[in-house]
Amino acid sequence: MNATVPPAAHQRDRPRGLLALVLRAALVAVLLAAVVGPLAGLVLWSVAERWHWPALLPQQVGLKYWARITQGDLLAALTRGVAIASVTTVVALVAAIPVSYGAARARLPLGPVLLMLFLLPQAFPQLPVFASAAVLFYRWNLAGTYAGVVLIHLVGGLVYAVWTMTAVFRAIGEDIEEAAINLGASVTRTFFRISLPLALPGVVASSILVFIYSLDEFTGTLLVGAPYVTTLPVYMYTASLGYELQIASVTALVLMVPGVLLLVLMERFLRAEYLAFFGRL
Amino acid sequence: MNAARPAEQVLWWLAAIPATMVIIVGFGFPLVQSLVASFTRDGVLTLANYELVYRLYRQDVVYTVLVAAAGLVLTFGIGIPLSGYLRLHHSQTAEFLLKVPLFVPFVVVGHAMRIFLAPRGTLLIFLHALGLVSQDTTLAISEGWLGLSIALAWKHLALVVLLLMGAFRGVGEEYLEAARGFGAGTLRQIWAVMVPMAAPSIGLAVVLSLTSMLASFSIPLMMTKGSGPQMLMIDLYHRYGLHGDFGTASAIGVVSYLLAAGAAYYYLKGVVRQ
Repeated sequence: MNATVPPAAHQRDRPRGLLALVLRAALVAVLLAAVVGPLAGLVLWSVAERWHWPALLPQQVGLKYWARITQGDLLAALTRGVAIASVTTVVALVAAIPVSYGAARARLPLGPVLLMLFLLPQAFPQLPVFASAAVLFYRWNLAGTYAGVVLIHLVGGLVYAVWTMTAVFRAIGEDIEEAAINLGASVTRTFFRISLPLALPGVVASSILVFIYSLDEFTGTLLVGAPYVTTLPVYMYTASLGYELQIASVTALVLMVPGVLLLVLMERFLRAEYLAFFGRL
Repeated sequence: MNAARPAEQVLWWLAAIPATMVIIVGFGFPLVQSLVASFTRDGVLTLANYELVYRLYRQDVVYTVLVAAAGLVLTFGIGIPLSGYLRLHHSQTAEFLLKVPLFVPFVVVGHAMRIFLAPRGTLLIFLHALGLVSQDTTLAISEGWLGLSIALAWKHLALVVLLLMGAFRGVGEEYLEAARGFGAGTLRQIWAVMVPMAAPSIGLAVVLSLTSMLASFSIPLMMTKGSGPQMLMIDLYHRYGLHGDFGTASAIGVVSYLLAAGAAYYYLKGVVRQ
């Protein structure tokens, strides 16, 4: 960015150099405190076996509550959530690809209308609709079942899958497909031999998004899964209701792991438009 | 051109059916059912549900709008100058830090903020350690509008900064140079050049944040424990879960649809344009 600024501008900036540097350092410090502060509280509470006001650190620190990860209901909620997220991701991806590709290539008549349909769950408040879905699912014997939870996760997951993959397919040059078609390949064969392999990195990014969405999904799981299908977010809510702050904090930190890993690992690879979808978790 | 053969077109259509059915069965149908349920009680068409909403929850409608408005003011009051500053003075550390809340799920934000802003929560502990508050101080914001709007702003700021920085980067360097040539400082370049030029993107970001804040459920659920005014989604959840009153819960839902609908209209329009 600075490369485009002519030297004269730098010259003029120089007298304010020190002030600018201080301002910049202050900004980073304030941001660090604001972002890390609330999360630091989670870490401290997760290891606090005894903590009385106003000590900065807990009087007694230990891993008693962290040990809960390896046993019992916390571990069960974690593995259940991973299983549900895996199924949701595979189904969402397979189901979304024809819609995304069709919409990206205008091969589906009414493609834009279809895309709008897949925006609906993001444009409307989710809770009232999921409460209504829970009533329906109860009637269909889907309430409190894995199938019901996967179905409700698919609703949100498909939004991410369809929209990110439409962007991915749009980014692939159409001329290379036309070359294949001109050489006599069918549209379907072109898709499987040319477009899908080219889209693979985007498909991977999309599946990670759906997986994390499902792992973190709270509202739908709470309404549809209760009381038999408990995933980590619901487990954390129950723990916090019972004022088990340590258990809730351990769970919260476990829930953050996949996202933070992704942030660190994919900082370089993840394109901003995929990143923007994370805000809607 | 590469128009698909009719047989293939049918094939693609068939392949699109499962995903479409999921949205219709899991979202469209429940949406319609909640609309119908809001106007019925015991199978009879009535406005009784809305009367109850008016009687019990009209203050909560106002409260919800106010919390969302306060959250918006916080988010954009910080987000606009911050994004503008980072557009002019690139800082990788700051941009990385700002992305972190994107990857923290809403429920976790709610729990973290509850611990952080509690009457004697970790914020107060940190402030006490710095010698800024006395031992008798308590903080009373975690359950009120301020704590909620801070938590909502914390979560939404990341997405807003991401959207705004994208928009501000789209503002040509030559305009900013021209402004600098007339002696405009950082703030002047943000207010006089970037904000007007990126107005459509800012509008979209406002609408996105507003609908999300109006319909926020997990953050208030984690942070509030029942007394005083509530966010509408909490009322809905209690009406549905504790009272088993699906009709009134649906009427609250329809009120929230209406609040979001105006905003959603612009949201959809903005997305279509993109």
